[in-house]
This record gives sequence, C-alpha cells and structure tokens, in this order.
Amino acid sequence: MLPIVIDLSRAEPAWQQLLQGVLDRIAGGHLAAGAKLPSVRAMAQAVRLNPNTVARAYRELEVLGVVQGLPGRGVFVTPEGPQLATEQRGGVLAESLRAAVVAAAAGGLDSQEIQRVVDAALRGAAAPTAPAAAPEGNETA
Amino acid sequence: MTDQDHPVEVQGLVVGYGKANVLRGVDLQLPANKTTVLLGRNGSGKTTLLRTLMGLLATRAGAIKILGLDPRRERSRVAEQVGYVPDRPDLWPSMRVAAAARLIGAHHTRWAQGRFEEVLARFGVEPRQRVGSLSKGQGMKAMIAIALAIDPPLLLLDEPFGGLDPVARDEVLDEMIGALGERPRTLLLSTHETGIAARIGDHLVVLADGRLSPVQSMEAILHAPEGPRGADALGALLMAGVELGVESAAEGGVQ
Repeated sequence: MLPIVIDLSRAEPAWQQLLQGVLDRIAGGHLAAGAKLPSVRAMAQAVRLNPNTVARAYRELEVLGVVQGLPGRGVFVTPEGPQLATEQRGGVLAESLRAAVVAAAAGGLDSQEIQRVVDAALRGAAAPTAPAAAPEGNETA
Repeated sequence: MTDQDHPVEVQGLVVGYGKANVLRGVDLQLPANKTTVLLGRNGSGKTTLLRTLMGLLATRAGAIKILGLDPRRERSRVAEQVGYVPDRPDLWPSMRVAAAARLIGAHHTRWAQGRFEEVLARFGVEPRQRVGSLSKGQGMKAMIAIALAIDPPLLLLDEPFGGLDPVARDEVLDEMIGALGERPRTLLLSTHETGIAARIGDHLVVLADGRLSPVQSMEAILHAPEGPRGADALGALLMAGVELGVESAAEGGVQ
C-alpha cells in the first residue's frame, strides 16, 4: 500500500488523517473489496504513531462500514467498502468546498469570481502531472 | 481494582536533596494501557520522579502505589514487574551485554531470551561487546532491549532517545511502537523531544517548578483550535511550564 503521511501540525487529529488516508487508498482502488489492511501494529510502525491511535482509526472505519475486523484473522475491506469510501471522500470534499465558498461569499466574491478561482485551482492541480497520476491527498510516493 | 485503573498512583509526593525539594507535592494517576509522556525541561525533576517511582530515592512525604505496591517497602517486587530504563546505561561496565542481560533475566519470570536477542540484533548491538565499551546510544539500546524482553505490563522510560542519532532514534521508536502494539501496556516516558512525544503519546503530563500538571489528552493539546499545533504546541507547553499545563488541563483534562 502507498505510504500515508501523518502531519501533526495539521488541524485534524492523527487518527482522522489516518482514517482519511485509508479511505483515499480504498476509494482510489489501491485497496479493493476483500483486501486485508495491515495489522494495527504494522500500520503503527509504518506511520510512526501510537497503536492506540491506529486502533481508533480502524474502529471508526469499521463504524463507517468500510472495513470489518474478523477476530484472529485481521481487518478487511467490506464488499461495499470502495463505494462507501468514495462517498465519504466526496462528502469531505463537498464540506471543505462549501466552507471555502461561504468564506469567499462573506468576503464579497460573487459566484462567477468563485467559479473562476475553482477552475484555476483545478487547472493548477492537474498541470504538474499527467492526468492518471494526479496528486492524491497526502501521499509522498 | 485501583491498580488496574491506575498502574501508578501518586499523592502529595515530596522528594528533595539537602534543603531543596525537587518534587513539591506531585500527584499522578497514570491511565492504564496508555502511553503518557512526561514532559519537562532539563533539571525539572523528571529523573527524580521516575527514580522515586522505582523506590530508588527516599521521599519526604506522600503516597505511592505502583501496580498496587509501595516501592519504598517492596522495591524488588516492583522491579520484577516494571520495565525501567534509566536516563543513562547503568549495566555493569566490565560485563558483556549478553551476560548482563542473563543476570537481569534470571530475576524475571516472563523473561524472553529470544526476544532480547532479536531486538538487540535489530538495534545492531553486538551481544559479546563489553558494556563499558558501548557508546551511550548503544548502551541505551541494550537497556531498552532488556526492558522489552522482561515483557512488563508497565514501562518507565527516562529519556530513552537521549544521546541517540536520528537513525537510532527511529529504530528505538519503531521497536517501542511494536511492543505497544503486541498487547496492552502502560508506558510513562519522559522526554523533551516534542516531535516524538506528539507521535507516541496518548496523554501528557508536564513537570515544572516541582509540580506536575494533571493528565491531559495529547490530541486536545496538539489540535487545539487556536495557537500552535503538533510538536510546536508541546514546545510552547515546555517553555510555559506547568502553569499553562494546568490551565489547559482544566478544559481538556482526562479523568
């Protein structure tokens, strides 16, 4: 699995960043339905976080229905996991976009100006790499 | 059971040298199965507190319970159950690492020789080397390998990253995270390395001016809506001392 980088200076707590990172991997197809997640211990070592923090992220993923823990066997992506992860990811994007739009409107920008900024941001994000390798969240590799 | 809820319980602890009191009324209830970082500047009394918890220093006042035991009266029983790594290697200098470990292991029923050898190999420390010829960093690694081989429910680590270069620091951190991931353990870790503290700590206590802040949630400190975040937030706490720690604990303290 591609590395997930946790940046503790960000506003989101580490467990939320990890949860988002795993959702991104599932939504992006790197972890398919039925795929096994690394054990809590292996993941903790990979992202250099306390195992309790990783366990919390895994618990939340289970609550979302994206993964299922099978006692003694490990944690697996559920059949509906990829669909749920895609929806979750869309939801998070919609939420941050809405917050940005509200702030922009409060600052006096009209909808056309906001649209221009969004278009420019999309072009900026797509420009540096080929479309198939568009940057995806907090990956380094 | 009290010792299950709080493997370490301290009330009104006063410890001093000569006329000066280093710890001036310390209270601590350490959450079970969590990692608590003991943050404090050099000379704030972190080592004094940990040594006192192991029964190695006399106290002037206060109550201490370690896994239900009083370390002042039952020091050897506490030593059997607690993985303690002091701030500098204290193994016998003339002995080889493997022999020193065997001697310590003989006092611990859960001693895992295989594990000791594996961790030592991963750390790149040669078991046939004499303790006295190890660098400080290698000595700390040997001590940590021994502490993990005891497989204790409670670990007290005093500046385990002190004297380690960045690569060795990551090796020790990975080993520690691995040990925490194996089964529930309670860890009290003193450090002034804010970056590591932020990654490994569930909770935080700050020692300054001889007093200890209440146990606080690391997440609440690192991701407060205002002010510095992450390791910078811990750096600010370290500079501000216990006053700030007590204030923010009033809002985000852990019961």
